[in-house]
Amino acid sequence: MHAVILDVAGTLSAAANLFVVAAGLTLVFGAMRIINMAHGSFYMYGAFTVTTVLGVSAGWRFWVALLAGAAVAAVAGLTVEVTVIRRLYDAEHLTQLLATYAVLLIFADVGQRIWGSGYRAVTPPAVLASGISVAGVQVPRYELFVIGVGVLVGLALWVMLARTRFGWLLRAAVEDPESVATGGTNLARLRTGVFVLGAFLAGLGGSLTAPLQSIAPGMDASIIVSVFIVVTIGGLGSVAGAAIGALLIGLAQTLGAEFFASWAASLIYLIMIVVLAIRPWGLLGVPER
Amino acid sequence: MSNRQSARPRHWVLAPVAAAAACALLAACSTSSASSASSGGTVTVGESTVLSGSIAELGQSGLQGVQLAVADLNAHGGLLGKKIKVVSADSQATPATGAANVKNMILQDHVVALFGPVSSAVAAAEEQLAGQYKVPIFFHTSNDISLMGSSFNPYAFQVVPNTDMEPRAAALYLDNEVKAGKIKTPIALGTFAPNYSFGQDSVAGFIQALKYYQVPYKLVSQQWPSLEATDISSNLSALLAAKPSVVYNAQFGGDLVTFVKQAAPFGFFKKTTMLSMLNTAELATLGSSAPAGSIAFDRAPWFAMNEPGVTSFATEYHAKYHQWPDTWAVLAYTSVQVWAYGVKHSGSFDATKVSAAIAGASIPTIRGTITIRACDHQAEIPEYVGTVAAAASPQTGFPLWAAGSGFTAPFSKIALSCAQMKAMQK
Repeated sequence: MHAVILDVAGTLSAAANLFVVAAGLTLVFGAMRIINMAHGSFYMYGAFTVTTVLGVSAGWRFWVALLAGAAVAAVAGLTVEVTVIRRLYDAEHLTQLLATYAVLLIFADVGQRIWGSGYRAVTPPAVLASGISVAGVQVPRYELFVIGVGVLVGLALWVMLARTRFGWLLRAAVEDPESVATGGTNLARLRTGVFVLGAFLAGLGGSLTAPLQSIAPGMDASIIVSVFIVVTIGGLGSVAGAAIGALLIGLAQTLGAEFFASWAASLIYLIMIVVLAIRPWGLLGVPER
Repeated sequence: MSNRQSARPRHWVLAPVAAAAACALLAACSTSSASSASSGGTVTVGESTVLSGSIAELGQSGLQGVQLAVADLNAHGGLLGKKIKVVSADSQATPATGAANVKNMILQDHVVALFGPVSSAVAAAEEQLAGQYKVPIFFHTSNDISLMGSSFNPYAFQVVPNTDMEPRAAALYLDNEVKAGKIKTPIALGTFAPNYSFGQDSVAGFIQALKYYQVPYKLVSQQWPSLEATDISSNLSALLAAKPSVVYNAQFGGDLVTFVKQAAPFGFFKKTTMLSMLNTAELATLGSSAPAGSIAFDRAPWFAMNEPGVTSFATEYHAKYHQWPDTWAVLAYTSVQVWAYGVKHSGSFDATKVSAAIAGASIPTIRGTITIRACDHQAEIPEYVGTVAAAASPQTGFPLWAAGSGFTAPFSKIALSCAQMKAMQK
């Protein structure tokens, strides 16, 4: 029972974080067919911004820091979309990959100049810093907070996609881009909006997990691999797919570490291979036209 | 039109050929100017180590130790009348990058000595090149036993207790705690180590040592997160789910700090005794979050060594860099002193002569006189173990070791014999 509670908490918090970041990536690909390698950079910038806003102390500034991280990532996303991504919409996927990879490298270098090359650590606010007893097992409050935020983000995205004009246009762009263009919508503004939203989500994911890890150069590359796997499994363009993919990967990481410790690292790639073999466009994805 | 097309290829070929020739000429010029600078009164030493990422602190600290030692040597006239220059490069904890850095340092900077990286995997790559090009290399941080074992060469020197010695000292301390009744047996043992040569050998060394000291244990969980992995939550939950009573954690730097911060809200430190490399830098970062009572092993803790040379080094280092020296700075400074001894006593910078002068010698350093064992070039030095203090030290502002908890495991008790090392070198 003790192990089960820890496993569930671990799976859900890993999944929540992956979902927030993956949702951004999947929307960008779904609506714009752009593979953005620099998505991890937005994540990293979100985390580093939190360290700058917080300094060493936590407190009320933590909530400001969370939003500031996401906002900085959104601004970075806007800059990238206007300068680079706009020119890539009609380019081959390989060109998009190379260009966004270049953006990743540039952001990594700039990041090191701004924040240095070492690692940073932040603490959550006191109200979330300790553990809470769940059926006799101590679970960190912050993990539960991450799960909560993941659920909220999922709900907010669902509402946006189902009930707002922007969401409808986004879904239309995913399913039938030609009709969106001919329907008189300002496609350029829609695309910028989607890309900024994606970057915002990535930054939010980074801010959210800042207190749970060491924030250092290289976290952009390490998150992007897991997020790509989640998005690939879930289906490019599907937020629900990203949620399922995140849960699967969270589960694989947690149970893998417990039962197959030396194979745990390969487990998530194995799952991706199996899913792609059975359904090449992902569990909830749409075959590319 | 066809006439013009056939004319074009000639111009097209000439330009890059001319450019290549110009580059080659420039490169030749710059190399020769570097060598003339060398003979004019300067020698260069190099350090390729990790300077970015979550374990950057170890590399930076070691580099600062080397730079301070070289500055002190230069202040006293340098070596053999020549001033010493330090070049450095970031290995990014990647063997291929470290090897490329070292190759550049040897071929372009003409370094006469190399000082060691952090990652043992990088060290193995750099050691191979040092042996190939005959440049003495001194390891002051990376300590995998294979460096002086299976990949040993006569130009490599180890100034750090290795992956057999260090866990043996930790196991010996644990055995003392068990005999004093402070820890119940059988121990439910969990291990948490970065997934590369050092992590694996350190854990293997610890388990082997437990068997040797006949400490009853049961292995309940073994976790292998990647080195510099920023997210270890799944490994941590798996470790906790197994309910270990003792955890041997071979992480270091930012990775270890992350572990402590993530594990604490689970109530981990109330229920589990952890043995880890909580050194000066990690304790400084953790501050009041440092786990009081946790067992820490350290290769050169300036505050617990009782060596006047180390204490004055710490003061000098603190004045210059505004931080207290980590183990790596102490060891790096010592390794430069070992190299300088070799140069002075052989009267040369030649690798073979310097290495011969060092092997078997007793060398005065900031940490007292140390002997470099001839059979495996291993410094005959102890490993230190203690428990983290509850309160911050008035000197540093963060917790050090609890007074009276310091324990020195002597070299004779923890090292492998020459015969055992020689068997590995075959």
